[in-house]
Amino acid sequence: MLVLKTLTRGAMHGYAIAEFIEQTTDDMLRVEEGALYPALHRLELRGSLTAEWGVSENNRRARYYRLTAAGRRQLGEESARWDRMAAAIARIMEA
Amino acid sequence: MSAWRTNTCPHIWLRLKALIHRRAFDRDLEDEINFHLAMRERKQQNLGLGADAARYATRRRFGNVTLLKEDIREMWTFAVFETLWQDVCYAARTLRKSPAFLVVVVLSLALGIGANSTIFSVLNMLMYRPLPYPQPDRLMAIWETETGRETSSEPPAIADGADWKKQSHIFEDIALTSYTEPTPLAGSGVAEQASAQFVTPNFFRLLGVSPMFGRVFTAAEAQDLTQTVVISSAYWKRRFNSDSKVVGKSFKVSGVLSTIVGVMPPGFGSFFGERLDLWVPIDAESARYSERKDHWLIAIGRLKPDATESQAQLEMGVIAHRLEQAWPATNKGVGAKVVPLHEALYGWAGRYLYPLLGAVLCVLLIACVNATNLLQARIETRRHEFALRASLGAGRGRLMRQLLVESGLLGLAGGALGTALTFAGIRLFRALAEDFPNIDSVTVDIRVLLFTLAVSFATAILVGSAPAFQAARADSNLALREGRRGATTGIAGRRTRHMLAVSEIALAMVLLVGAGLMINSVLRLQQVNPGFDPANVLRFEFTVAEAAPYVERLPGGDIERVTPLVTAFYRQLLDKVTVTPGVESAGMITPFDFERTFSVLGHPAPPPDKTPMTGFREISSTLFRTLRIPLKKGRYLSGSDLPGAPWAAVVNETFVRRYFPNEDPIGQRLLLRSSDLDEKQTRQIVGVVGDVKRYLGDRRPEPMVYTSYLQQGSDYRGGSIESHLSQTLMVRSASNLDKQATSLAAAVKKAVAELNPDQPVTGIMTTEQYFARSIGDSRFYAHLLEIFALIALLLAAIGIYGSMSYSVTERTHEIGIRVALGAQRASILRLVTGLGLKLSCMGVGVGMALALCLTRVIDRFLFGVTATDPVTFAVVGLGLPGIALVACFMPARRATKVDPMVALRHE
Repeated sequence: MLVLKTLTRGAMHGYAIAEFIEQTTDDMLRVEEGALYPALHRLELRGSLTAEWGVSENNRRARYYRLTAAGRRQLGEESARWDRMAAAIARIMEA
Repeated sequence: MSAWRTNTCPHIWLRLKALIHRRAFDRDLEDEINFHLAMRERKQQNLGLGADAARYATRRRFGNVTLLKEDIREMWTFAVFETLWQDVCYAARTLRKSPAFLVVVVLSLALGIGANSTIFSVLNMLMYRPLPYPQPDRLMAIWETETGRETSSEPPAIADGADWKKQSHIFEDIALTSYTEPTPLAGSGVAEQASAQFVTPNFFRLLGVSPMFGRVFTAAEAQDLTQTVVISSAYWKRRFNSDSKVVGKSFKVSGVLSTIVGVMPPGFGSFFGERLDLWVPIDAESARYSERKDHWLIAIGRLKPDATESQAQLEMGVIAHRLEQAWPATNKGVGAKVVPLHEALYGWAGRYLYPLLGAVLCVLLIACVNATNLLQARIETRRHEFALRASLGAGRGRLMRQLLVESGLLGLAGGALGTALTFAGIRLFRALAEDFPNIDSVTVDIRVLLFTLAVSFATAILVGSAPAFQAARADSNLALREGRRGATTGIAGRRTRHMLAVSEIALAMVLLVGAGLMINSVLRLQQVNPGFDPANVLRFEFTVAEAAPYVERLPGGDIERVTPLVTAFYRQLLDKVTVTPGVESAGMITPFDFERTFSVLGHPAPPPDKTPMTGFREISSTLFRTLRIPLKKGRYLSGSDLPGAPWAAVVNETFVRRYFPNEDPIGQRLLLRSSDLDEKQTRQIVGVVGDVKRYLGDRRPEPMVYTSYLQQGSDYRGGSIESHLSQTLMVRSASNLDKQATSLAAAVKKAVAELNPDQPVTGIMTTEQYFARSIGDSRFYAHLLEIFALIALLLAAIGIYGSMSYSVTERTHEIGIRVALGAQRASILRLVTGLGLKLSCMGVGVGMALALCLTRVIDRFLFGVTATDPVTFAVVGLGLPGIALVACFMPARRATKVDPMVALRHE
């Protein structure tokens, strides 16, 4: 979900995605960076992302990921579910 | 979640792309990760770390690169299929290493599968292939049921069919058609017979078939003296050389000038695939058929699109009831029955073919058991290999899959070879079957191929699963410790092997008993005494044209009158043939006609439903002497039984037994009556002759009345004139017929041609050939079962041999000890053959029980033996263990040659 959300900002390569997630969460969700790649490839195989080769800011060949319509739909579903779950947890904690 | 599940398609596509560009994919993955690492490394350096420190930090933060790559690569590939492919390659390699095993297993499976596919392809052609017309499932046959016999299926009276058509609302249309009938083309200058189908004009439109040229019949076309015909494409090619201007040409059919109006497309022919030259229109509403006694056309209806069979049945019941009230004389108690046309035409074939399918299934099962046995034995010897693989980390599932892949390969190889054998099998079936319906259109089509594939897979699973389970169960520790010695198999394994051998014998027993019963029947059929002397008698068939100058139609009604020319022709022909050199005598006889009832003068009239019935035939007075039918009482017909003399009749013994059990039949007067016409003149019984079989399988002789062709009425109703115009000429040769059959046939044909050049003569054969043909079905069935039983026997023998062979190898060590301890060769021989004998006796026991249950299905094909004939059972039951013993003997001899030193050194 985080990856998908990140990609709503436009096409990005893996390093940029990792950087973005790390920065916006203030390194709270820092895991092994490599784990990002199986996730990206799985999403690509599911049709949520497409990937193409492009040139990075510093003129290197980089693989850019882009959200597909199916990916957007999936993001919608997952974030809705997350909201419900978070709300439910919040209610339990408040009780 | 649901979104990606709907997207499995691009996912397969992407994977395929990755599979094709595998190298590029690997490079890309490498690049992508390297890019990430490089970027991170630079950032770390920018944060002030040294080059090495930056690299380590980056690696730490990223995780295990190789593992990640593996993960991703696996995600992109078809891992399952790739290991499967590995298995296939490995299996192919190991199988190639033991060619003898491979050949035996594949050949036996191929025989089993090929036999199954052959029988299935015949079944497929007759039972499963839809009729070759549009919307065939809406085509129904409509039968009449006889009074008091609801299950009977009779062709309706033609006028009834016409009424059905008019009154039915469920059927789009109802047409009437005959089967194919030989029809003389007399008057056309060629002594040829055509094969014709008589149809109502709506027949073609109802089936949904249009002519290739011209048109089909119009409703008005069904006149008596000139008519139109539609010809088949085969006839068009054969007789008219594919002449495109054939429409409008005329020729004589049954003496009636007929004009061709259309040519049907190729592939549109008779229901049973026999020759069909032309279609002749029938007017079902003609006054000819108003008596409702003409039951020779079958009714075919096409249901309206939304109508069902049961609705049609309901409506036809109502219509039949209405007809019953309108025509009580003919239709009382007559019902109507709707049956899908396909079932009506081909439903009978199941009775022939399903027992055969059962037989070939037995053959296949034996082949499977054989293969299982061999595979199992192989696994026993490969236990070391499996144990090694298991201890190196191969999962049980993987080992089982390996074995199943092996048996799958064997099954598919068997299936492929079996398909090839199917082509040969179909050819063999055709050669044996002679005139089996539609036999020429039996082919290997997609359905047969699918069937073969399914059977191959089922075979593979059947063959492979037991050994696979056993291999998976194997205790690897034990096997490794025992090393390559391959010590005695577990008791379970041995018991399975013995059970398999027993089941093989049992299955072979069933087939052998079936074949034995059939052979027995055929032998008995060939020994049947036909009641006359068939040797040296040549027979000829001919039918005088039902048209001028021989027949004239009386105006109004359906009465036809023979002219004196007919009897003149018969008499001249007999005279001519009798004086032909080499001819001892000659006689003529008309076809068997069972439709006669009669009353005896001076006897009280029996109740109407118990009217006595008899067979009836017209003969020449010379017939009895020609066929040497024995006279039992009184006299034969003679040359003095002329039209002017009192009408005489000769009856057979069955007639006397049934109708004059306590009286002297000679001198009794009969008044004969057919359903079409009552005779006015009585016939006096002058003699009694022996019963004669019409065909060899004729179980129950019918009462018969023979009368002279010279003492017949001249008027016939409803087509019954045919029984006077169709004759079989029997010619007894003075010397051995074999040498002069051809010249005699030519002489008789010449005699006929001299009298009437247009008169075709057909069915020329010796009476022995005729009888052989009459038991063709039984012989065909016996041949097929013989072939299947022989294959089964061969496979079972191979199986026993293999099984015993293995058991000897396995027990080499034990036998060695026995020999070392002083066992005699004879006792070793007994040890092995004793086991074989025990197994085969058990197999015979089981097989006997099975056969007792199963042979009943071929009961209808048996003659003179019961399905539980003790002699057949005994012969097979004793012979089979004998063959098993022979199969055991070679392994047993090998066992006696075991050198105790060699056997013990294995230790």
